[in-house]
Amino acid sequence: MDEIVPADPALYRLKSGAPPSLLGVRCRGCGGVFFPPQHYGCESCGAPAETLETVEMAGRGTLHSFATVHLHQGKGIEAPFTVGVIVLDDGPAVRAILTGSSEGEFAAGDTMVATTEVQGRDDQGRETVELRFRKADEREAGGRR
Amino acid sequence: MSQTLLDLRPVYVVGIGLHRYQRPSETTYVELGLTAARAALGDAGIPWSAVETAYTGTALIGMAASRPMLRHLGATGIPMAQVENASASGSTAFRMACLEVASGTADVALALGVDKPGPVAMAPGKTGVRDLVGGRVVPFTHFALLANDYMNRNGATAEQIAMVAVKNNRNGANNPYAQRQKAVTLEEVMAGPPISGALTRLQCCPVGEGAAAAIVASKDAIDRLAIDRGRAVRVAASVTRTERVYRGARNFDAELTGETVAQAYREAGISARDLDVVELHDAFTIEELLYLEAMGLCGPGEGARMIESGAADIGGECAVSASGGLLAMGHPIGPTGVGQIVEITRQLRGEAGVRQHRGARVGLAHMVGVGAVCVVHVLRND
Repeated sequence: MDEIVPADPALYRLKSGAPPSLLGVRCRGCGGVFFPPQHYGCESCGAPAETLETVEMAGRGTLHSFATVHLHQGKGIEAPFTVGVIVLDDGPAVRAILTGSSEGEFAAGDTMVATTEVQGRDDQGRETVELRFRKADEREAGGRR
Repeated sequence: MSQTLLDLRPVYVVGIGLHRYQRPSETTYVELGLTAARAALGDAGIPWSAVETAYTGTALIGMAASRPMLRHLGATGIPMAQVENASASGSTAFRMACLEVASGTADVALALGVDKPGPVAMAPGKTGVRDLVGGRVVPFTHFALLANDYMNRNGATAEQIAMVAVKNNRNGANNPYAQRQKAVTLEEVMAGPPISGALTRLQCCPVGEGAAAAIVASKDAIDRLAIDRGRAVRVAASVTRTERVYRGARNFDAELTGETVAQAYREAGISARDLDVVELHDAFTIEELLYLEAMGLCGPGEGARMIESGAADIGGECAVSASGGLLAMGHPIGPTGVGQIVEITRQLRGEAGVRQHRGARVGLAHMVGVGAVCVVHVLRND
């Protein structure tokens, strides 16, 4: 089987048998956890880069809001697509592209899990995947909505 | 200890002028800017030689816009500088002009906003910090997400959000300087091409070209230049803040606006109840509801009802976006914040014609910009 790699390895990690995880940063100074990751300094307390450590967060959270984009002029991006704000179980709110055919299938409060979508191939011929979120099935939601 | 505008010497708006906001055309930015500047000088009844410093709010034209434009009023050698602060560029240029007069480094200052759409380099895209959506979340989608959240939290409908466009286009229809000068029905707004989420085309502001100018002066200058004191409008507060860290999915636009407006109320010694006219950053319909609430003009979750009740109409409790706002007057970026000062000054002078909100004495101008930044001014005519 082809090797599959993240299109942006700085942002997420692929897991076997589990949804991909997200890579954020945690400030050892103030305990703040942030996504997307950056290594310039803590936005909350101003601690320098050395104080920030990479933290792996479960690709699971709750849908806060969403919108289907009908018009987009960006290069290489085809509308329509749906963007959602997901509050991760591990704290931060992230914006991500949702997989699914229509806006109608989502509702605020839905349990969401990270998944991947094939993007293309890298220069070594490996398949690259981008991170998406999808609605959790009943089993994955485990009693949550 | 730092001081506020009211602690310093008084600053008055004495001259206002506009070039109509319009679709991009062959008109040069020089022509746009000079039209607004000359109108403001004419309104103040003073010659260009009386102006001691000039700030140009512009984000899209490119480096060094001021002198190639203003030299055609006579190259008097005064200090000039461009001010870029995203959508709040014009508001910040106005603030710089006010601070110079308040501090005493100038007696008469020009704030000019001018822009034409063009390719622009956005610094936030060059930080090296990447996210999961790449370029897929542009401003209209940022606000479509907030619209969805607003409906989820408050049980508001898409129609209630769209009502903002009906009100502001009605006001814009009576503003000869507005880019959109046509009243629209709720059905027309809802039937428009969908852009993102609940937002249709008429719920997104047009970004065109234009110019706006405001001249501010000290009491000394008003006396010395025999400016009509009765038409001078006092600047009672000038406040600007930037986004802090807000936990979870809290709405930073509303939080930042709430903080900035609260400081402006304190500095001007007023409360939301005192406001007669408000020009706010209604680049998208949902924003007007969020900011009405953040400004305390209505309770949390009551923005949609306030619009429906007519309380935000001209002639209502507080006229909001009487100019037509960004939705109808337009949002040419650099001019927008200065254009708000122009509208509020007109209203407080009682010179707004068919758009006049009766008895207007206190007004507030509010812009937010990418960053995020927020700039608020309070004007009053006592």
